[in-house]
Amino acid sequence: MQLIANITVLAAIYALLACGYVLIYRVSRVMNMAHGELAMLGAYLLYTTASLFADHPVSAIAAALVLSLTVGVLVYVALMRKMTGQMVLAAILTTIAIGILLRGVIVLIWSASQQHPLQVLKFSNPSIELIGGARISTCAALMVLATVAVYGALFAFLRFGRWGMRLRAAGQNPLLAAQRGINLNAIYALAWALSTLTGSIAGMLIALDSGLDQTMVVIGLKAFAPALVGGLDSLLGALLGAVIVAAAEVLAIHYIDPLLSDVVPFLVLIATLIVRPWGLFGTREELDRV
Amino acid sequence: MTAALLTLEKLEVVYHRAITAVQGITLAVEAGSIVALLGTNGAGKTTTLRAISGFLGIDDARVTEGAIIFKGERIENRPPHENTRRGIVLVPERDKVFPNLTVAENLAAPLARAGAAMERRRHEALAYEFFPQLAGLRHRVGGLLSGGERQMLALASGLVCEPELLLVDELSLGLAPVLVEDLLRRLAEIRRRLGIAVLLVEQSATVALDIADYGYVMENGRIVLDGTAERLRRHPDIQEFYLGRKSGERRSYREVKQYRRSRRWYG
Amino acid sequence: MSRSPRASGYFRTSYDQDLALVQTRLERTSLGVFIVALLAFPLIASPFQLDLACQVFLASIGSLSLMLLTGYAGQISLGHAGLLAAGAFTVGILFREANAPFWITLPAAAAVGGLLGIIFGLPSLRLRGLYLAVSTLALHFVVIYLGGEYEARRGFSTGIVIDPPKLGGVSITDARAWYFILLGAAAATLLVCLNLLRARTGRAWRALRTRETVAEALGIGVASYKLLAFVISSAATAVAGALFAYYRGFVSVEAFSLFLTIQYLAMVIIGGMGSLLGALLGAIFVTLFPYIIEIGLLALPGAQRHASLLFAMNYAAFGLVMILFLMFEPLGLVGMWRRMQSYFLLWPFKHRPAAGSRG
Repeated sequence: MQLIANITVLAAIYALLACGYVLIYRVSRVMNMAHGELAMLGAYLLYTTASLFADHPVSAIAAALVLSLTVGVLVYVALMRKMTGQMVLAAILTTIAIGILLRGVIVLIWSASQQHPLQVLKFSNPSIELIGGARISTCAALMVLATVAVYGALFAFLRFGRWGMRLRAAGQNPLLAAQRGINLNAIYALAWALSTLTGSIAGMLIALDSGLDQTMVVIGLKAFAPALVGGLDSLLGALLGAVIVAAAEVLAIHYIDPLLSDVVPFLVLIATLIVRPWGLFGTREELDRV
Repeated sequence: MTAALLTLEKLEVVYHRAITAVQGITLAVEAGSIVALLGTNGAGKTTTLRAISGFLGIDDARVTEGAIIFKGERIENRPPHENTRRGIVLVPERDKVFPNLTVAENLAAPLARAGAAMERRRHEALAYEFFPQLAGLRHRVGGLLSGGERQMLALASGLVCEPELLLVDELSLGLAPVLVEDLLRRLAEIRRRLGIAVLLVEQSATVALDIADYGYVMENGRIVLDGTAERLRRHPDIQEFYLGRKSGERRSYREVKQYRRSRRWYG
Repeated sequence: MSRSPRASGYFRTSYDQDLALVQTRLERTSLGVFIVALLAFPLIASPFQLDLACQVFLASIGSLSLMLLTGYAGQISLGHAGLLAAGAFTVGILFREANAPFWITLPAAAAVGGLLGIIFGLPSLRLRGLYLAVSTLALHFVVIYLGGEYEARRGFSTGIVIDPPKLGGVSITDARAWYFILLGAAAATLLVCLNLLRARTGRAWRALRTRETVAEALGIGVASYKLLAFVISSAATAVAGALFAYYRGFVSVEAFSLFLTIQYLAMVIIGGMGSLLGALLGAIFVTLFPYIIEIGLLALPGAQRHASLLFAMNYAAFGLVMILFLMFEPLGLVGMWRRMQSYFLLWPFKHRPAAGSRG
């Protein structure tokens, strides 16, 4: 039972991070390798706003979210906009470079030692007892709820919202979208904003649960596997992919070897690339879009 | 004489900084008129339309010389969404609808012209009025439509943007003649009721000259002939090469080649 | 082959002349001067500078092999650090387990590299672009994991210590000796690369990088040339890793992080894709970069305080420079160099005439 609880929590983390990859890829065919770093930035921003708004945790969280959203849009407008239409390697490397820059800047501003936004916000994180004797922390439970809420909101927005529909349209056929009056730059900026927002929510919750330091980048990178397993342009796929990868990881740690935790997502990734490169729900043509 | 709605002056478009697709294109479209742009494959018609509508960065194409003047403003090398907001709407040849969106969503996605007179609901109602079949297909996904239905949807979604100038690329391609006639009638109706000017690119001269007021013929990236639809229909070259009507006895291939050779007006 | 611009009046009259590596008299002279300078350098350099030079040579081997794979054959690989680790670990394992001498470990490292090259290269037969990059990234993590497993299981949690290689019973520890060894290795790699590119293999790679389907239609065995690119590149990279292990005398899995891969990719990009000179320039730039940052940082007022932030500063500056090159100078240092050459050659004209211009 504890295993199932662990899988659920890990799947929630992966799902929340993976949807950020999917959002940007689906709309602009760009693989944002700096997603982990942006999520980490969100968490660090929370740490700062928590200190600033010491007695108003809600304001602190809101401020951090707004700030991280702004950073996401800025990254697009200042850096990525110029890279549309360049070759794949250049775009990937640009996002990697942005990630490196962010990592350096974060350490310069906040130092590399571990931080605890939880304490600064004066929250507590007691563990909750579930049926079957499993235990998870409050923050982990919040994480699961947040993932459900975010995915619900995203599905609704993309399916029923007018701009969500335009996001989908721009992803399918950018030229036609532009010819129908849709400003592609605005759409891409929107995708980056949403992606950074969801990533920051994930980052903040992870930081609240287990402290904040540079290792979050690794989680961000591992979360790429569920995105690909599910199909890089499918949100539903990201959700399922997260469950699969989380299950594989938790079971491997439990039954085989704890050291495997960092490698299992990539093994699942390799398996997917061998068997079904376009993922569970991805569109097949994606493969040849180089 | 009032200036035309759209004027191209000695337009030149270059792809990948190396390939000149069209050169020295000069044409005009009066408000409310239907102008045909004829020519075979690779003549540069689509490039001309795309130049008017706007290139995206990924196409790596640029207008390197000349001007495109719409309602007195120069609009060359602008992104497509800007030109659409100005009132120029392109109905492309390929990828003309959003394949994974339903028909209703396809009609809801476009953004109308800035300062559009009608509300969005009235736009969509208008689209269904001109293309009643689409009403029944509201929830059908775009990719599953037949060729004719897709063309109708493409035209309808173009209408939703409330254009003053409609650029139509290869209306008749891949469609049965009956359908093409039907679409032409609707296009003429649209022009009559909404006063929209149309620049119609066509490989099939019969189709185009049927409803056009004026026409231009392109070959190898240049305009080689222009005139009213009547004059073009009667022109022996057009009759021979585009309308398939031979005059007199059969010509041998050698004579045809020589004939073509003698028509070198340019370089 | 994208040759640098030449002044007029130079004609080639035979294929051999066309293929020759050094053609004009100017090239011969400058090459001669350069070689003399390289050979004389150890006589005047401090140990620190010698170490820097050795690092540059080591980096060059890695960047040349990556340039072959990514710059010429067009196969994106994010697994470079994994291959370096494989070479280093081969040396470490063989040394620890079997006390093998260098003339066994180095070829073994090459063989392991080649074998891994096939594994890293297999995805390229089915995938391209982003998906290929991701598959190589995943394989990198697998290799690193295996290295970590070995360290953990055999109790080398802080890394494996390796004795310096012995030549005729004498350990090679002198900095100058290493300088010449690594210079030789780098030069050998460069020559191999140059010759590969002049030959059929190089042409095949260029073809499949430009338009794979057309290359296939022309009868170029795309699959085998792709794998060949991976195998050769990986073998060379593994040898670089092996030499690195011997040079440092120490192998540990932490040294082979994703950042190392990115540094090599930066060498290729900053240097200039599709040019061996670019690989060398990039290797020099990226290797010397941290030291330049350090000097710059220490020159600022309040230097002592900043010293602890050096690592982060390095990271941030590196990321920034990469972004700047990717955005504004996609042709890299070689592009800048060629532009400068063109400027002087064409002066007082500003541009060379456009190909196929009218009139």
